[in-house]
Amino acid sequence: MLLDVKDMSLSLKREGKYIRILDQISFHVNEGETIGIVGESGCGKSMTALSLMRLLPDKARLEGKVVLQGDEITSFSKRKLEKVRGNQMSMIFQNPLTSLNPLQTVGIQIEESIILHTKMGKQQRRKRVLQLLNEVGLPRSEELIDDYPHQLSGGMRQRIMIAMAMACEPQLLICDEPTTALDVTVQAQILELMNEIKKETQMGIIMITHDMGVIAEVCDRVIVMYAGKIVEEAPVIELFLNPKHPYTLGLLDSIPKMGIRKQKLGSIPGTVPSPEKMPTGCRFVDRCSHAMDQCRNTLPEMIEINENHYTACWLYDEEVNKSGSIGSQKPETAFHY
Amino acid sequence: MALLEVKNLKQHFITKKGFMGKKTIVKAVDGVDITIDVGQTLGIVGESGCGKSSLARSILRLAEPTSGSIKFNGEEVIGMNSNHMKMLRREMQIVFQDPYASLNPRNTVRQILEAPLIIHSLGDRKERRDLIESLINKIGLRTEQLDSYPHEFSGGQRQRIGLARALALNPKLIIADEPVSALDVSVQSQVLNLMLDLQQDMNLSYMFISHDLSVVQHISDKVAVMYLGKIVEIANVEKLYNNPMHPYTQTLLSAVPIADPMLKRERIILQGDLPSPSNPPTGCSFHTRCPIATKECSEIEPVLEEKLTDHFAACIYV
Amino acid sequence: MDVLKFVAKRLLLMIPILIGISMLTFAISNTIPGDPARLILGPKATPEGLESLREKMGLNDPLYIQYGRYMVGITHGDLGESTYSQGPVSSDLIRYSPATFELTLFAMMITLLIGIPFGIISASKKDRMADHFTRLFSLLGVAMPAFWLGLLFLLLFYLKLGILPGSGRLDSGMSPPHHITGMYTIDALLTGNWTVLLSASMHLILPGITLAAVTIGMITRMTRSSMLEVLQSDYVRTAHAKGASENRVLYGHALRNGVMPVITLLGMAFGHALGGSVLVESVFSWPGLGKYAVNAITYLDFPAVMGVTLLIAVMFILVNLIVDTLYFFIDPRLKHN
Repeated sequence: MLLDVKDMSLSLKREGKYIRILDQISFHVNEGETIGIVGESGCGKSMTALSLMRLLPDKARLEGKVVLQGDEITSFSKRKLEKVRGNQMSMIFQNPLTSLNPLQTVGIQIEESIILHTKMGKQQRRKRVLQLLNEVGLPRSEELIDDYPHQLSGGMRQRIMIAMAMACEPQLLICDEPTTALDVTVQAQILELMNEIKKETQMGIIMITHDMGVIAEVCDRVIVMYAGKIVEEAPVIELFLNPKHPYTLGLLDSIPKMGIRKQKLGSIPGTVPSPEKMPTGCRFVDRCSHAMDQCRNTLPEMIEINENHYTACWLYDEEVNKSGSIGSQKPETAFHY
Repeated sequence: MALLEVKNLKQHFITKKGFMGKKTIVKAVDGVDITIDVGQTLGIVGESGCGKSSLARSILRLAEPTSGSIKFNGEEVIGMNSNHMKMLRREMQIVFQDPYASLNPRNTVRQILEAPLIIHSLGDRKERRDLIESLINKIGLRTEQLDSYPHEFSGGQRQRIGLARALALNPKLIIADEPVSALDVSVQSQVLNLMLDLQQDMNLSYMFISHDLSVVQHISDKVAVMYLGKIVEIANVEKLYNNPMHPYTQTLLSAVPIADPMLKRERIILQGDLPSPSNPPTGCSFHTRCPIATKECSEIEPVLEEKLTDHFAACIYV
Repeated sequence: MDVLKFVAKRLLLMIPILIGISMLTFAISNTIPGDPARLILGPKATPEGLESLREKMGLNDPLYIQYGRYMVGITHGDLGESTYSQGPVSSDLIRYSPATFELTLFAMMITLLIGIPFGIISASKKDRMADHFTRLFSLLGVAMPAFWLGLLFLLLFYLKLGILPGSGRLDSGMSPPHHITGMYTIDALLTGNWTVLLSASMHLILPGITLAAVTIGMITRMTRSSMLEVLQSDYVRTAHAKGASENRVLYGHALRNGVMPVITLLGMAFGHALGGSVLVESVFSWPGLGKYAVNAITYLDFPAVMGVTLLIAVMFILVNLIVDTLYFFIDPRLKHN
């Protein structure tokens, strides 16, 4: 196992109080596996990534365990963690323009990762940067190395970010919405590149996105997050064929499908509750058309319903099913607006 | 019947490049022909910088078009005097991408919805109040919410308020510029459902601009694909999606990630990025990235021709 | 190439600005009630004497003729005769300006050396003791009027403690160094005259700090807010994600970006200091342009007032031009555009 996250919780200080943003997140990533994390904005996807990297605001409280290749990095000092970041574990971000330093050439920015984590000499480093630029599909690397970010297009900038993240051959790559800010044709190029990198390395990838299409294209296993908790986890095909949690169903139903026109799309009424006003029971209860009394009072645990398919929903609880209180009202689709 | 008929519309901007560089002409819209029929939706797709938003703005004359003709209900819009134009604006409304930026944060929803009615001096106080209340119900919000401010609403609700404001004057055409791009899917679908319902109820016409091909497919009757200020393909939605003719349309369609992990497709990956609109390639503007381009493509500028019945494309190899 | 074009254009733009300023000062000084001829001849002057002096000084001509005459003079380097010093204004300016430039430059040096580091410390230790202290300090600097602060300093360091001199540029009886630039510290340094250097430096301290108090406050506050913004930026997060240490992020990535907007403010601060010297020089009896201007105003010596105003305007415009040109060398986004 490459990465094992156990009961990770994150609280941020807001107006003098600690507010829990992430609640007992547990998942793992194997070598060579791509895990997708999907959910609406504000459900904690990005915060999960930043917590793994511990790139958190000053007043943040992180609990639980994160084990990367046998090391419990949650207990690492700042100094020790800096040796891990960009080396064993790197990250790329949503907006490649603002994520690059405008005053440094891209060559220098890629080289910095190499300087920080290896003992390579100057010549060697330059060679490595040129090699990385070629690997991420950027031609004329000799000229490009001295360019500044503003001279490049959005797609090229994101390739630079990928080269930077790949510089020290990390075991884990975290991608936070890497194609959201890009045009469709450029997004296709970047996804293609990610798939190539996947094939060539044994790297584990965490792909954070709100786009089920991107999930379907690159992920092996998917985690669905809602309001700071994981509500469903399944291999990608299983998730699309046999989604269980009403939230996952809602998300899938809302996507316009090719070939089907002008029909009512499914949707999820309401909005994600704010962390200050989290319901005590299931956090989805106010938006769920299958909500029962139980859902309001008690938080459902993750249960395995199929092989490697887990969900946290009372509808699938054995006790509840035995009592026959829901009968055949298993969620299918629901239309709202 | 054609509600909107745009012919050879051009919108050229003169820009100064850099700090004190020389002037260049950006052909944001370069000879566009479209028609929108009553009760129909025309989808406009293309990547950023292709001129979709400029097209919307010049049709509404928010930016004065360089040349061409825009006929709304048979009347020429270009050159129309401002009084007449004000009347016409009631019939053509726009909805923007960022609902938050387009709603005044200091006004209540009631004030926001009432503003267009007051500007066009429609109805007395009571009539306006009744109209606003019926509007807010139409878009799925409650009457009590009229006295709240925009920040008290979620993104999807704000976009619905934006729609209500556009509907206040009972328009015939709504130009929606990326109306759902800033929204989460679950909320996006609510807005799309609402737009479809409203269209049926009020016999509205839409010009729906988006970079998202699946959304455009869902809502449109006819779709135009834009590249560097020009329409490269236009057809009825089934024809365009089932049988894309222009290589750019083919690429776009193959690039969309589809939420089906079992689907395995051949994907056309384009080389490079969109050329700068201020310095478009010669000949066919797509030839620098086109997988099937030949030498002729850099020399001959293709015209939009009817290649199949009601299916137009601008490519010399189709 | 672009830089030269830019500088040339800005220099050309100076002409209309200076014409505007000269017209404005000319108009203002001529609408002030008071008769220069009466001031020169004193209370016992005869009406005939006054009239002939007015005729001689050209005060009876219409205003635009007077102005035209003045402008023609300027093109020959003739700024008119000072009624107060009874010599040409141009030679007065040459005599008094080095003292002011020395004082202003010294104030700017202190501003840079204190303002920028204070701003950086304040930003990197946000909401901690060091931050509160520097913020209070810079607020005081901005809020306290210079003449009052100057008097306070005089009272404390000169009268009470007696450790610093309180007026003039040198100890009494000491003769100035050989004239090279007219700035005593620099001339003393160039000629190796250490006793004079010490004395000149000691004399600079109180007026220098008084003059710098406001600009230090301005620069500190600007540096702090700009650095805070940069420290929140995406590329700083990227640098952390690469594994760069706190210090490396602060000095390698944030600093250059953060100081950028401060440079513009430096030009403004310089102008502020030039203007402020009028008051500060009076408080410390510093024989510079400021003191000259104050005397000129009390004697309704219009040519002298005009001369000082124009010189300060030219200096201010030139400094800001230098500052703006600097950007071409610091910001690659301008270089490549």
